[in-house]
Amino acid sequence: MWAVIKKEIKSYFYSPIGYVFIGLFLLMFSIFFYTDVFNYQSTNFEYIFYSGATILTFITPILTMRTIAEERKTGTEQLILTSPLNITKVVIGKFIAATLIVIITEACTFLYFAILSFFGTPHITTALVTLLGFLLLAMSYISFGILASSLTENQIIAGVITIGFFILTWFLPQFSNIFTNFSLINLFSKFPTGQIDIADTVTFITFTIACLLLTVIFMQRRKSVR
Amino acid sequence: MIEVKHVTKKYGKAVAVEDISFSIKEGEIVGLLGPNGAGKSTTMNMLTGFIEQTEGDIIIDGYDMLKKPKKAKKEIGYMPEGVPLYTDLTVREFVQYMAEIKQVDKKTRKEKINQIIEKTGLKEVEKKLIKNLSRGYKQRVSMAGALVGTPKILILDEPTVGLDPKQITEIRSLIKELGKTHTVILSSHILSEVSQICNKVIIINKGKIVAIDTPENLENKVSNNNCVYVTVEDPENKVNNMKDKIKDIKKLELITENEDGTKQYMIEAQGDIDLRKNIFSEFAKENITIFELKKADSTLEDAFMKLIEGGNK
Repeated sequence: MWAVIKKEIKSYFYSPIGYVFIGLFLLMFSIFFYTDVFNYQSTNFEYIFYSGATILTFITPILTMRTIAEERKTGTEQLILTSPLNITKVVIGKFIAATLIVIITEACTFLYFAILSFFGTPHITTALVTLLGFLLLAMSYISFGILASSLTENQIIAGVITIGFFILTWFLPQFSNIFTNFSLINLFSKFPTGQIDIADTVTFITFTIACLLLTVIFMQRRKSVR
Repeated sequence: MIEVKHVTKKYGKAVAVEDISFSIKEGEIVGLLGPNGAGKSTTMNMLTGFIEQTEGDIIIDGYDMLKKPKKAKKEIGYMPEGVPLYTDLTVREFVQYMAEIKQVDKKTRKEKINQIIEKTGLKEVEKKLIKNLSRGYKQRVSMAGALVGTPKILILDEPTVGLDPKQITEIRSLIKELGKTHTVILSSHILSEVSQICNKVIIINKGKIVAIDTPENLENKVSNNNCVYVTVEDPENKVNNMKDKIKDIKKLELITENEDGTKQYMIEAQGDIDLRKNIFSEFAKENITIFELKKADSTLEDAFMKLIEGGNK
């Protein structure tokens, strides 16, 4: 599994994908940082992550859409699937690699925290809770992105499915309150206030595991229908 | 080494491979031969565990591919069709990745990788990105990927497709070399290749096995021992009367009239006799000058066509 993680990370940074993701996120994050901090004269680090979550919703597919779809298209899946490596390990390896990119991005946002602490006293524990929530959100997004990528050999379709699903769950609560807990981005909303909601955390983790499990099942099943 | 028992692969109602059985012993080099779409790749994909068969069993070195996939897969090095590679890695990184996913022991890994890079002649390009390599080198990289992990069995799907003649001979000699230490299965639709490299041929057509034999036996099976080609200078057209002179001639047929006035005939004998001696002496008596006299030798090509056509009828 370590081999898969290493290779995926390498691929992220050999191709521009890793830089594009981190760069794009930080660029937009900076814009929101500027508007939030200067317009509202606040040194609140956490609230920018509401915007951060919105950015993540749109750029997650950059990380995930190629993960499995590309292997299928170029045929390299034959190499991993005929190796003694378990499919589950392959999927988890890819998931961890993408998650690591998000963690790198989060680490970069500490720069903003540093800037803020220069002008005021932002709250470190709240910031860490926010980052944890953001990571959980990213993990669910990534796992769904990988699932979408395993459904097709076309990266674009995988990307569109991913964004389409995120937007759908985002706006579902507006149609009916029943869907409030189906919205991933809503589940994130309590973290920037500094509280770790166990129910939300469990939902994120369950969703992540479910998506990864489905990915494994789909890939396993394709063995007999391929 | 490899045991395939009544294996069938269906896609919905379409049957890709139907009830094939064969066994391959250790150290054999086996050619899987068949026209496009015959089921060669499907068979190989099942042997490597990339796809699952609908029915039947595949046993690799004593391990059932479906029940003990991890152990079975460890014995196999696979070079898939169309040489899929991670093009944004360098050659060394790719080989290293393959070594890692094939769980080569960490202590000996580096040494093994070096050996393989040396063996496949990739030393000079090991630091290049795979996407910048020529087709011939990509083929070698793919081969290196298959060799990693010292598998007992090598499965090569169309290993020489898309190469220039020099590269083809190089890859062939590499396969021959590897055949000394591995059991090799390769697929091809180039028959001369198979007859050169392999000591056993499995011919597949439309998902069924048409023949399993050595290349020599297959050639013999279809050879026309009683058929000779003769090129003569014969302005008076006396050859046509020869049928009466030599009793054993069953059929005499003009094939081509060459520009220099010579004619080539095909002469078929009655029964299993060699006509050449007879023709030589009798033609001389009639003052027909023989320019060329040869026995019709059949090739694997003929065997292949005959078997395939037989199956189609």
